[in-house]
Amino acid sequence: MSGGVLGVALRRIGVSLPLVFLVSVLVFVVLRLIPADPVAMSVPPNATRAEIEALRAEMGLTLPIHEQFWIWFAKAAGADFGKSIAFAQPVSRLIGQALPATIELVVVAAVFATIIGLAGGLLMYRVAGGRGEAASDLASTLIMSIPEFLWAIFFILLFGVALNILPFTGRLDAGITVGRITGFLLVDTLIQGRFGAFLNALSHLLLPSMSLALGTAPLLMRVLRSSLMEVGNEDYMMMARLRGFSERRVLVHHAFKNAFLPTLNLMGVQFSFLFGGTLLVEVIYSYPGLGSLMVQAVANTDLPVIQGVALVYAVAVLLINLGVDLAALMLNPKLRIAK
Amino acid sequence: MSKRNNGITRRSFVATTAAGATALALPGNVLAQAKDSLVMAWPIDPPTFDPIIRTNPGIQSIYKMIFDQPVTQQPDLKVIPAVVKAWKVSEDGKTIDLEFRDDVLWHDGKKLTAEDFRYTYFERREKGHKSDLASVFRNLTDIKVESPTKCQMILSQAMPTVIQWMTFLANYIVPKHYVEEVGPEKFAEKPIGSGPYKLVSYERNSRIVLEAFDKYWGPKPTIKKITILIMKDPSARVAAIQSGQADWVPEVPIREVERLGKVAGLTAEILPITRVIMLQIRSDRAFADQNVRLAAHHAIDKAALSRALYGGKAVPLSVVATPGTPGFVEGFNFPYDPKKAQELLAKAGFSPSKPLQIGMASFNGVFPGDYDIARAIAQMWKRIGIEAKIDVIEQPKYFELNRGNQLPEATLYSWDNATGDPEMFAGYLLHPKLPFSAWKDEKIGGEIMKLFAVVNYDERIKGYKEVNVKAASEGAVMPLLQSVMTFVYKKGLKTVNYANGWNLPQYWSWS
Repeated sequence: MSGGVLGVALRRIGVSLPLVFLVSVLVFVVLRLIPADPVAMSVPPNATRAEIEALRAEMGLTLPIHEQFWIWFAKAAGADFGKSIAFAQPVSRLIGQALPATIELVVVAAVFATIIGLAGGLLMYRVAGGRGEAASDLASTLIMSIPEFLWAIFFILLFGVALNILPFTGRLDAGITVGRITGFLLVDTLIQGRFGAFLNALSHLLLPSMSLALGTAPLLMRVLRSSLMEVGNEDYMMMARLRGFSERRVLVHHAFKNAFLPTLNLMGVQFSFLFGGTLLVEVIYSYPGLGSLMVQAVANTDLPVIQGVALVYAVAVLLINLGVDLAALMLNPKLRIAK
Repeated sequence: MSKRNNGITRRSFVATTAAGATALALPGNVLAQAKDSLVMAWPIDPPTFDPIIRTNPGIQSIYKMIFDQPVTQQPDLKVIPAVVKAWKVSEDGKTIDLEFRDDVLWHDGKKLTAEDFRYTYFERREKGHKSDLASVFRNLTDIKVESPTKCQMILSQAMPTVIQWMTFLANYIVPKHYVEEVGPEKFAEKPIGSGPYKLVSYERNSRIVLEAFDKYWGPKPTIKKITILIMKDPSARVAAIQSGQADWVPEVPIREVERLGKVAGLTAEILPITRVIMLQIRSDRAFADQNVRLAAHHAIDKAALSRALYGGKAVPLSVVATPGTPGFVEGFNFPYDPKKAQELLAKAGFSPSKPLQIGMASFNGVFPGDYDIARAIAQMWKRIGIEAKIDVIEQPKYFELNRGNQLPEATLYSWDNATGDPEMFAGYLLHPKLPFSAWKDEKIGGEIMKLFAVVNYDERIKGYKEVNVKAASEGAVMPLLQSVMTFVYKKGLKTVNYANGWNLPQYWSWS
């Protein structure tokens, strides 16, 4: 990484830290405003009034809200998000168990979204102005208009039930157990040299990741096509054609490189949305990630877990955007000079 | 980089991708399970494997696979010995002598003794371990261990249902040596029990893998390996059984049960269980007038609710007890009578042209059809002149509102009682001091409170039957339906149906 990029990266991280703080304030305040009493979930149904009040004091809920926040934030800064009300386990442990599954899902979904988005964008550009344009427009609009959870249900019915060729629950088949090393199954299976389990884990990722990817890919397709059309009339494109390069070479080596940057910026935003999409998709596929944990926490009014997971989501989004910004800086020298 | 540099041509790439896709499609997920294993889809993930922490009915069967209760029940709910092979309750109901089997082993091979029982029921509470079990046995003052197989429980007040409670929620014995060695948190993650199955692995929100314990004191399970897939979404459970990815799935929507029952290779069942769906009623505000309460009750067509939402399988109820349980009153019927409902409401000064406004709370998605029932009842009430505004609440909110006496006039509620004992039906639901009861009037409540101290079984049951009739006749509660549990499973699986909805694969087999 060049010094320029490093400097920009440090500046971006500097900006991100106050953002994380603001998000944590927002998450904390919003959750305190909702009409739910976390103590109600923590006590047995036949608890006495005295027991309830004692627990309320023990949980720090009798303190002023700003004091509650500082206590929580100071601990959260050290990755201590408190103890789950429903699971009676440290929240950081619960997040640590679920996070690798979600990251794995999001990464695979991002790979699919990128492949489909870029390939689709190139295809849409190639057929623009021809007979295929209307069909490609219709297809991308159709894919875009179907939400992730509907894709999830459709894929289960098609590939899981009707064709019965792909699994749609959990991360592994019932008969396979893999020891946890990193929590990333694709990595753990390879470390342990279990190629069959690796394929099995991958097969379990296919449907949920495709469900997520199809929510993101159409936008990438459209932006890439628009960018390609914009650069299509640039002088350097004409020069390339005059030099006798094939249309494919002109497209891939000249047009694509220049049209890719706007798409890359959009990818940052869209991949952040992938995290949000995991909430429903993980529940539908019984996938044990942060989304499932969050849904269960909301159902149980488990405020410590909700706060912890929300903060992790926020940090993940910031990190993705930071990563995309850095990638754009590395790919586009003009941005470095501008900085 | 040129294409030839890495030796990958377009043709070889396509061929490799196709082969990979085929390989991915092949793993054994869609193959039938072996005859000594079973894949179950479960709608709830246990929040903890420390079984004494929470009184959550939906996970009791999982706990019963791993742990032992002191005593247990037959499929018809009769209490039978288990780890405790004999018991004697004193006449005043304050001391209970227990005798334990001497051949019960924990999954690590150590013996289960009366010390473990004392630790579970008494010492953990004294050490400050918070649990629902401690709350249930708050009147327990000591457990005197006389020998490894004998002990005596001492209560400050009579607890007539102490033995029934030992078959109920959160009543499991945990290993003293192991909990003390690893601590309660670690135990809750990686427990050992003395039940028919050992916990092999657990992935939160995904699956639980159990293996038969070959030194189990009771009948050895013929199904040696159980995989429980946590599948909260009903449509995912339906897809799982249809695709063969699960062998047994519960809590399937009624319409799907009827459809799947016709699919070759599958068996579908709808089983009424000891779960009551009812409207809990306030004794004040708009429902202070008995005429209004009875009018509201007469206006509900329970048979129509059953037909519309449960395929007619849910039995309409007139008392808060299910048929076959001790507190059920044969022959007593609270009829659907919209004409009488209008007359009673008119006495209170209300009619369709001058409607009574009330509030109604309902869950949405906590038990099958809950919100639909609430909406249907609101429609039925509207016809006679009661306009109900429905508020959807969550379970923690219900307890919060009830503790603060802030529930609306009517609350749609579902109540599980695996014991079948009337104390855990009418007793808890109408006891004005308990947070399960919206009814705070001391007249019926006073009778209930007295019954909590009646040790004689026959006298107690007679008392509850009388209270059940009185509660319905005076509009203190509106029992609606006996709820059903639905299952779909592969043909060849022999299950055992418990009247309380327990699903215990330790007693199942493949034919």
